[in-house]
Amino acid sequence: MRRLLSLPYTFVLMNWAALAGLYYFVTGRKDVWLKSKSSHTHKHCKTA
Amino acid sequence: MIQHRFAVQKKSCMETIFWVNFAFVLYVYFGYPGLLMLCRRLGARPVKKQHCEPAVSIVIAAHNEQERLERKLKNCFELDYPKRKLQIIVSLDGPTDGSEFIVWKYVSQRVELVHSKQHLGKAVALNRALRRATGEIVVFADVRQTFARNAIRELVANFADESVGAVSGELLLIDESAQEATTDVGLYWRYEKALRSMESEIHSIAGATGAIYAIRRELYQDLPEDTILDDVVTPLQIVLKGKRTVFEPHARAYDVVACCALAEYGRKVRTLCGNYQLLAQLPQALLPWRNPIFIQFVSHKVGRLLAPWALLALFITNLLMVRGIYAVTFSLQAAWYAFAVAGYILSRRDIVPSILIPNDSERAA
Repeated sequence: MRRLLSLPYTFVLMNWAALAGLYYFVTGRKDVWLKSKSSHTHKHCKTA
Repeated sequence: MIQHRFAVQKKSCMETIFWVNFAFVLYVYFGYPGLLMLCRRLGARPVKKQHCEPAVSIVIAAHNEQERLERKLKNCFELDYPKRKLQIIVSLDGPTDGSEFIVWKYVSQRVELVHSKQHLGKAVALNRALRRATGEIVVFADVRQTFARNAIRELVANFADESVGAVSGELLLIDESAQEATTDVGLYWRYEKALRSMESEIHSIAGATGAIYAIRRELYQDLPEDTILDDVVTPLQIVLKGKRTVFEPHARAYDVVACCALAEYGRKVRTLCGNYQLLAQLPQALLPWRNPIFIQFVSHKVGRLLAPWALLALFITNLLMVRGIYAVTFSLQAAWYAFAVAGYILSRRDIVPSILIPNDSERAA
């Protein structure tokens, strides 16, 4: 059940990321420009 | 009568928008992989791999990575490649945590330090490192991921084929049990890799894996300072010069899978923001007569940028004509998004309130 729900959630989130990416690109947000790829682990997540 | 005709035209227009967007979304996620399968069957171009040992420079760009640098350097020392042919360059971009002292410890062991006191970004750090590089082949690496022992050998074997200008390795996302991750983030990444593998067999991939990729040094072009995705810009520049960028699944780097979709989201926003920048930096990639992988580039990279807009149009047009077959499609769409919201709520249940997370001193205790 959980897997069934997380698939559409991941799909929607990844598509939402494209809209957010456009926003960051247009507004030139520096935190994205200089951020490293090390944000892989969500610090508040139990499974981290 | 006029009103009726207007209503009919409006409906027909809505239907056209709906079906065009439906076809587009279907193509991006299913049609394109199908097309790749077909093209691979009809005209795969295998790389003429051959064992060789050219001089290699490994370039590691880092900012504040004191904790990981030592592990990464030790990983580089353990690689199965002749030591006299391996140059390791660490380019530090304005570190404030003393990363440079870690590198200094290893400077006598084939490690070279390029130290910038100002934090100017990864692209500048890479440009500086490349000026120091002497290897015929340059391998780019991130600090976080570790290489498999044979990674360099597997990468360079592809350069025996003169048509190859860049090679991307494979990033394996590992879960807690040290197996390849089968979470949704892991599955998404595997889908991406399957696409890359097929693209590579036909001609070239539209971007490399930042954690492990290699190029012929002579093909490197200085990156603009604000470049977000060096691992897409550099391989694409090489493809635009007429060389191939291929995928080598046996050259592996390992990383831990993102703990949840929300963590992967941050990385994805950065990547997609970089893809918009890529279109601005390399507009020639959108010209079919300049870009040998125009169809791959548009279907894979541009398609992903446009897909959310198509999904939005699909939902809105469907909302405005909920009758007949459209009632069914609307119900399916509504159910899909309701599941997504439920998935979000479920994932939030796994997030521990920050007040319950012990700080470092409490952890140590």
